[in-house]
Amino acid sequence: MSSSHREVVLRHIETVGYMQPALHRQTHAPAPDLITPDLWKAYTRIVHDVGGEPDVPMAWEEKQEEQWELNTFATAECLAWRGAWTAEERRRKQNADVGQTQYLGLPYYGRWLLTCARILVDKQFCTLTELVNKIEEVKNRHV
Amino acid sequence: MSDHHDHDHDHGHKPAPMVDEVSHFEILEMAVRELAIEKGLFTAEDHRTWVEYVHTLGPTPAARLVAKAWLDPEYKKLCEADGVEASKAVGVNWVTSPPTQFGTPSDYCNLRVLVDTPTVKHVVVCSLCSCYPRPILGQSPEWYRTPNYRRRLVRWPRQVLTEFGLQLPSEVTIRVADSNQKTRYIVMPVRPEGTEGWTEDQLTEIVTRDCLIGVAVPKPGITTNVKLPVRKAIHPVHHDH
Repeated sequence: MSSSHREVVLRHIETVGYMQPALHRQTHAPAPDLITPDLWKAYTRIVHDVGGEPDVPMAWEEKQEEQWELNTFATAECLAWRGAWTAEERRRKQNADVGQTQYLGLPYYGRWLLTCARILVDKQFCTLTELVNKIEEVKNRHV
Repeated sequence: MSDHHDHDHDHGHKPAPMVDEVSHFEILEMAVRELAIEKGLFTAEDHRTWVEYVHTLGPTPAARLVAKAWLDPEYKKLCEADGVEASKAVGVNWVTSPPTQFGTPSDYCNLRVLVDTPTVKHVVVCSLCSCYPRPILGQSPEWYRTPNYRRRLVRWPRQVLTEFGLQLPSEVTIRVADSNQKTRYIVMPVRPEGTEGWTEDQLTEIVTRDCLIGVAVPKPGITTNVKLPVRKAIHPVHHDH
């Protein structure tokens, strides 16, 4: 990566980093002329498009799969198999709509799982109350 | 100071021993699955069938595809021209595969086989998510899903490969294939020296998952993936690939 390109990329990541969440400074729907090209690019960044972003080496590891992770994958696929959603809907919700904090902060299948829960409510397969009650029911069963 | 104070009292505040504690993820997973079944979105039997299907998956069909192609130049041509058709010879039908009979919803059916040469090495990533040729290669390894691998492989492939123990001479070109929701890749490495006269079964054994992703190359005597530390699961699946 050429040094000028590197600076552009780093400035972009830095801008994005300061933006989310932008609670450290006042932001109240500013006038259009206050949105610089850098800000525009940062606001319209797609969080999962990480290819080429600067990063340093990490220690690679394998991971045993949790039973809930496999179950989550199966749930997501069964929802698609039986027509509740398409894989494209799932990807949009799970990779883009979650936002940067959840995208980078949650375990891989954690995002799948939240997305499965959200599709039930968003497409009115159940009400939010039904979901909350079901979570309570399961919790109580395992106390 | 306060650190020291806290430390002195740690012994009295130890959490109760973990008695098969259920995580938030596990609770939400059960809730979502049970609710989806109660609402008739799919059946418990569907879910069981899918989990069993995943248990049948692994890298062996892809390894066999490579071994066959090493032994049969005509089949190798088919692999290059039509990976989906070539998959049938190793028992994988991308178009009509179980359990749906119309393929897997998240994998579509466009497999490309990337053929290495002595001067071109392929390696696969999914920079946008974690697309992976599950029906022929099984579930992806955790490192393949990390933002780190996805960020860096497309820009510093040679460095990333060295981290997996693969040092390539500078005259070898590295081609990174970026998977997407429609197109999935496996790598056909160069058949290594020292395998002359080997059977298809023998060759299949040295084509590991890591060779098929492209972060390793096959070697006689090596039948396992690159040795990495394994993060233990709390409640592991009892059939890990």
